[in-house]
Amino acid sequence: MKALLYILNPAQRLGAALITSLVAFALLEWLFHSGQAYQQNLSLYLVPPSSEAWLGTDPFGRSLMARLGAAIRLSLLLSLFCVLTSALLGMALGVWAAWQGGWVDRCLNLVVNILMALPGLILILLLAALAPGSFIVLYFAISLVLWVEYYRVVRAQTRVAVTSAPMESSRQLGFGRWYLFRRHIWPSIRASVLTLAAFGAANSILALASLGFIYVGLKPPTAELGLMVVELLPYYEEAPWALLQPLTAIFILVLGFNLLAGKIR
Amino acid sequence: MRQILVNRLIQALMVAWGVGTLTFIFMRSLPGDMAYRIAAGRYGQDNVNAAAADMVRAELGLDQPVLSAYFTWLTDLLQGNLGVSLISGAPVFQEVQHQLSHSLLLAAVALLISALIALPIGIACGMRTGGWFDRSLLAVSALLRAQPVFVVGLLLILAFAVHIPLLPVAGYGTASHLVLPAFSLALVLAAVSSRVIRDSTQTVVQSDYYQFSRVKGLPAAPTFQRHGLRNLSVPVIAFLGVQLITLIEGIVMIESLFAWPGIGHALAHAIFSRDIPMIQGAALMMGLLFVILNTLIDLACHWADPRGQLA
Amino acid sequence: MNVSIRATLSELIHIDNLSISAGEMRLVDALSLTLRQGTPLTILGQTGSGKSLLAQAIMGLLPESMTVSGSIKVDNTEVLTLSKTEREALWGPTLAMLPQEPWHSLDPIMKSRQQVTEVFQVVNNVPAPQARARATEQLTHLGLGQALHRLPGQLSGGMAQRVAFAAATAAGGRILLADEPTKGLDHNRRDQVVELLQGYLHQGSVLTITHDIDVARKLGGELLVMCEGKIVERGNTQNVLTNPQADYTRQLLAAEPRNWPDTTAPAFKAEKDQVLSADNLGLQRGGKTLFNDLSFSLHAGEIIGVTGPSGVGKSSLGDVLLGNLKPNAGSVQYANPFTRHRRLKLYQDPPAAFAPGVPLQRLLDELMRLHRIDPSRVPPLLERLGLMPSLLHRPAESVSGGELQRIALLRILLLDPVLLFADEPTSRLDLITSQRIMTLLVEVARETECGLVIVSHDPELVEKLCDKTIKLQERQP
Repeated sequence: MKALLYILNPAQRLGAALITSLVAFALLEWLFHSGQAYQQNLSLYLVPPSSEAWLGTDPFGRSLMARLGAAIRLSLLLSLFCVLTSALLGMALGVWAAWQGGWVDRCLNLVVNILMALPGLILILLLAALAPGSFIVLYFAISLVLWVEYYRVVRAQTRVAVTSAPMESSRQLGFGRWYLFRRHIWPSIRASVLTLAAFGAANSILALASLGFIYVGLKPPTAELGLMVVELLPYYEEAPWALLQPLTAIFILVLGFNLLAGKIR
Repeated sequence: MRQILVNRLIQALMVAWGVGTLTFIFMRSLPGDMAYRIAAGRYGQDNVNAAAADMVRAELGLDQPVLSAYFTWLTDLLQGNLGVSLISGAPVFQEVQHQLSHSLLLAAVALLISALIALPIGIACGMRTGGWFDRSLLAVSALLRAQPVFVVGLLLILAFAVHIPLLPVAGYGTASHLVLPAFSLALVLAAVSSRVIRDSTQTVVQSDYYQFSRVKGLPAAPTFQRHGLRNLSVPVIAFLGVQLITLIEGIVMIESLFAWPGIGHALAHAIFSRDIPMIQGAALMMGLLFVILNTLIDLACHWADPRGQLA
Repeated sequence: MNVSIRATLSELIHIDNLSISAGEMRLVDALSLTLRQGTPLTILGQTGSGKSLLAQAIMGLLPESMTVSGSIKVDNTEVLTLSKTEREALWGPTLAMLPQEPWHSLDPIMKSRQQVTEVFQVVNNVPAPQARARATEQLTHLGLGQALHRLPGQLSGGMAQRVAFAAATAAGGRILLADEPTKGLDHNRRDQVVELLQGYLHQGSVLTITHDIDVARKLGGELLVMCEGKIVERGNTQNVLTNPQADYTRQLLAAEPRNWPDTTAPAFKAEKDQVLSADNLGLQRGGKTLFNDLSFSLHAGEIIGVTGPSGVGKSSLGDVLLGNLKPNAGSVQYANPFTRHRRLKLYQDPPAAFAPGVPLQRLLDELMRLHRIDPSRVPPLLERLGLMPSLLHRPAESVSGGELQRIALLRILLLDPVLLFADEPTSRLDLITSQRIMTLLVEVARETECGLVIVSHDPELVEKLCDKTIKLQERQP
């Protein structure tokens, strides 16, 4: 982890810092404020930020700090699950298809082509329609769309590595499959997988917020960034500071991951 | 050439099969009283009775065994028989046809604006990479890319419809209604495509053949015109295929935000109100739109890059 | 008076005391030369001698980070003081430059003829129909009549070289600069390029920069031998090459395969063990027959050479012998089939044999652990191959090609090979390094009684080293 920090360029370090600060906010908020994200208090209608409520309250008197913390935790957790699942799946299948070739490759390519026949968000929308408001279905749908990208990139690069002279030479010298993967395939796909992981995190956060925004994702009263934007939008004239909060959170998360995605050496 | 069309036709069939199957599963997984609720929605709470609910059930094939219902569902789909909307009662085909034309208009205008923004900027940055212009445009692009498309739309509404009331907030009708949604989409598209055009320009300008054209004696302008534009357009057109996904996804979001009566708005609305035939029709149209635009891009690639024609 | 005017008129390029530096590093030092009408001038030097910078300096293509001093006169005009635009105006009508890599220098999506036509059209203002006619005439003259409407990707290396020649010279420049024009070409194609250059002497003159002594020999004219940025010897090409004065020139000439000592031992093999026998081998690739009915045997310590033009299947034959590729006909029988890891390959491109970014020592350790090899065998081998032990702490990409090739050989020797297939192992290396490695390779193969197959495009090299030669012929489809 520390070694990783050394090879990041300045833009990537900025990205890492942005993500770290939001993670810290979400964790600290969880430790000190837990459980208030859904607690309504109608007498506290849109209270501006003050020493009692640092980020103010929403029209139902709910603490925006608590809701923002919960929403960021939700986004980060979802992106973490989606990225881990899709990266592992896409990598495993990509390496398998490229190395094995033949019918394994053909079958997997068919599956990928079916998945890619529709734009990702449409597929996620259709799956989300099956079980409205379900976190698990969203996780499944987003991962299903994301792994394809890993598969395609990893497969292409593995094909190059498998036929490359260095790997042929190692094979000739008698090394086994695990060694060939560790010495030749992994180093050639590592950078792309990490880049895709960062982009994947940004994309899953965007997808979650987008679905929330058009009301087909998670359902109220869940604290979710896209939903918060819709909920606070009608109060824009009265409380622009409130609307700004979820917008800023989305912006920082996506910017952070996009910056982090820049090519890693 | 024929290969392209055949491949895209297969893709279109996959889209139809995928959408049809998903909506079929969706319909089968509906809770028992759904038919009743749909009937209530259509005929009004007071007029609904068991007979009306049965009619809805028969209409959706819910009273048949799964496999035969699935088969009927798919054959109907392939014949273009998309049923009627459970909400409005109008034939789905008619509705989506109308909506598709609105979406096409929005997509075309957005693509045009994004090309007008991205081409000059991308080429200017690519000719002189690392300069102040290039670096500041990189920053602008990074900031734009960090916004979901609906936030870009929202910010444009707040700026040009609320604070400076120049343009309508949302809706459809005059040309001015088109400006904000089209610009929101165009900005998001141009933020990425301008960088791709820049990279592509840089690659071409630094290539051996570009240099060789100068050494042959051709001045800078003819060299760019003869060897620059054509070569840089090859990867840019190919990238348009990737951007189509952004475009289609953007259409769903932007149409919902601006209440633009297109296919994306219809899809989100149908999902929200669980209008299954409409979901199927709208998703199918979005998928076919995706396939058709992809085909056009394939043909453009084929035309721009003679290398593919030899293979 | 009259005589001296004619002398200056015939001076196409006159360079005086030219130095090129990058920061503190002096890459070209006080170079002077004169290129005269009708007399070719050749600069001979190995990679890293700074010779390529010269062509760039004449054209005005040096990177801005480099500093230039001295004088370059083209047609009696000092060019170093000219503006960028004024210098660029010389490109084409005055200075023509042949590209090093013709394939990459042609626009990949423009047909051959158009790439020549546009020069007539844009530079010489010839109307389109006449420009096309002249381009057709030029290309047909060069034997490219069928290739007018082909894209560069459909041209062979030799054809691409000729299209690039036509395009580079179309604007009519009297001075032709050729920087490594024969890089990567086999002997036939190399000779074709030399003929093209000689043909240009009617039009003006040719300045050729090369590492290939044969190219210099065939071009004739004047020769400058360059070493580490300095001219070490100059004079009439024939004189310099037959009677070299400078030590460096002597070394260079001694390293030419034709001057190597003969180390073949065609008679000794009979009493040794047979390593493999190939029976009636046949191989097709992409519908094309590469070879047919190929039979031979290889004995311990024997050296077989494989020659032939590029693309005839020399490397594929190696893959068949190593058991990586199944032949379409015939078979390869090994005397001892259980020696798979002792049948190895030495690659053309030394870095190709090593995983990048990993210290070489670690790669060796992993190999020794896998095959339970005693690590104490490494130091004597290092010494035998003339390698510094500290080299092993570096990854492959920061070791020079010659050293890396010897490390590859060391790694192979650790496995006690019975068969070694060396696929043009020195074609990317300098002559002097090349001779050193080839000599080592042959000595080691004899010492360890390893059967060695050497692929080379150079028949002279094979003749000097190999006990037996297999010549692969180009087949007309």
